[in-house]
Amino acid sequence: MGAPTSLKQKFLKKWIMGLQICGSSKKEMGILERKKAIKLAADVAMASTRTATTCWSRALIANASKCDENKMLVEHIMGSSQSERLSVKSACMGCNKRIRSKKILGRSKSISRVKKIAPQKILANSIAKRLVKKRTQVLKSLVPGGESMDEFSLIEETLDYILSLRTQVSVMRRLANATEHSNRK
Amino acid sequence: MNRALPEMLHCLNTSVGNLAGNCTDLTVLDRQRTRIKWQQEQFQQQQQQQQQQNYFASQGQQLQGLINGDLRLDQVVTRSLKVDPGLENGWPDYGKFPLPKTGFCEESTGFESAGYLNGSAFEMNYAISRTASCPPAVAEAVAAVADGKGKESIVTEKLSSAVGKESFKKRKADKAQNSKVVAEDDSRDKRIKGCAEEEDSKMTEQNSSKNNSSSNSKNNNNNRENSGDTSKENSKVSEVQKPDYIHVRARRGQATDSHSLAERVRREKISERMKYLQDLVPGCNKITGKAGMLDEIINYVQSLQRQVEFLSMKLAAVNPRLDFNIDNFFAKEVFPACTASFPTLGATSSEMANPALLQLNQLQQVISCCGLEMGMINPPDMGLRRTTSAPVSFPENFLDTSYFNQIQPSTTWDADLQNLFGVDIHQGRSTPFPSQPFTDNYES
Repeated sequence: MGAPTSLKQKFLKKWIMGLQICGSSKKEMGILERKKAIKLAADVAMASTRTATTCWSRALIANASKCDENKMLVEHIMGSSQSERLSVKSACMGCNKRIRSKKILGRSKSISRVKKIAPQKILANSIAKRLVKKRTQVLKSLVPGGESMDEFSLIEETLDYILSLRTQVSVMRRLANATEHSNRK
Repeated sequence: MNRALPEMLHCLNTSVGNLAGNCTDLTVLDRQRTRIKWQQEQFQQQQQQQQQQNYFASQGQQLQGLINGDLRLDQVVTRSLKVDPGLENGWPDYGKFPLPKTGFCEESTGFESAGYLNGSAFEMNYAISRTASCPPAVAEAVAAVADGKGKESIVTEKLSSAVGKESFKKRKADKAQNSKVVAEDDSRDKRIKGCAEEEDSKMTEQNSSKNNSSSNSKNNNNNRENSGDTSKENSKVSEVQKPDYIHVRARRGQATDSHSLAERVRREKISERMKYLQDLVPGCNKITGKAGMLDEIINYVQSLQRQVEFLSMKLAAVNPRLDFNIDNFFAKEVFPACTASFPTLGATSSEMANPALLQLNQLQQVISCCGLEMGMINPPDMGLRRTTSAPVSFPENFLDTSYFNQIQPSTTWDADLQNLFGVDIHQGRSTPFPSQPFTDNYES
């Protein structure tokens, strides 16, 4: 079992590393820029604590490394695990492909659905189903890389993602508190 | 290995057989001794509640003494066998030390009632199983299967194996009966069960390995041909107890073709996951219906993401530069900040918390002194050990200062997480089994 403590430590270590890289690369930053950098570092650190095991972390890293500026940061945080990175790349390629095919499939499905549903009576059952579907779509948009998941893996990934987010939030809050405290003195 | 093993076992068997008469007396004596020790401990605990500083240390020492005592006895019994059963018996109990003693006594008495009659056989076989050290894969496989069994099954099975000359089929029948007995016992021992579950699985593992070993030794005595037979039988048993396939049953009026069955299985899996999510997301317990739950989950994820945004904004605002001087934080600020950020800890002031940490540390040292295997330790203790040993992996400048920081919040975190799983960490118990699949999932 991955102990929450060790997870937090790993996250903190990586995050701080990323922040230091960010800080060293640019001297003067606006507050928004700083915020962006902090968030990016936190996200990548969080994802890298759970790399290669979960879909969302791979998607997150893939998204982060799309931008050229961030590539270096990602590489640094990912650090020694070059092989992991390679796997990430290949995985995200696969993701893209799957997204495309899913889109096509969805389009064709929606066409057929229109034909089918239009003459039918709208039942309560189908309303409920539609509600669930809508929400699933929203959830898919929230979880990184969620577009390419089916329902089951989406729920699993959401579980994982929520736990990681919690870790992230608690560590960040603690660091924020500590910083505030030190600045006050 | 397979050849050498049964021979060794054979030797063991004979020696143990010689010792059998002694064993009963010894073990009874042993148990009485442990009883007395527990009573002493109880008394001491009452005293020590006033002096919390010494609490853990002396407990630990006492336990060590106890373990040593056990060790001696069992060495007498099992003659230079490496691992002593007393240690294992004593070990899982250790997790419950901070508890009120009543649970402990119950546990020990339950133990007695279960294992008294066949105490000698019990320990003998324990020893055998330990030295036998069957191929771990087999042991694990059977252990996974045999998880549900209780202590009684061990005892009774031991009886059956001690009889030894019975045919294999008969043994199997015995086994079935035993499991029935266990089922009854389970209901009776339920109060003990929560604590003892960890132990049980451990014991069943040994039990199963013992099973293998005993059958092996028998083979050695009689003929080599049977070996294939027994292994087959073992595998059969495991298959019977835990089937690989998922059993699906269509209710009346439901479709029975494979597609809809598969769909049903999928839905069940999803709803199971949804239950875990329900546990995870606060305020999701009362909502029924998938849409509502999804709503709640979405809200929660969004709020978490927003929190991350907010916190990064806050950090950006607070820090004019991006280089966080971590050493400074950990040297001066994190510890007070910690107590500030965990208002629930407010009851225990930092003075209170410090001794607690020290005690934890001491406890760990005692534990590591005993040189136990990690496998024996139940999860909370694992957690403890991990927290204490964790800072080693940090850079050196972290080490001294971050130490407290790491430990103290970790306990609260653990508490958080464990609450989430419906566990009370203060009772030092292992994680409950309902949450097991989830943690697995999380790890995967």
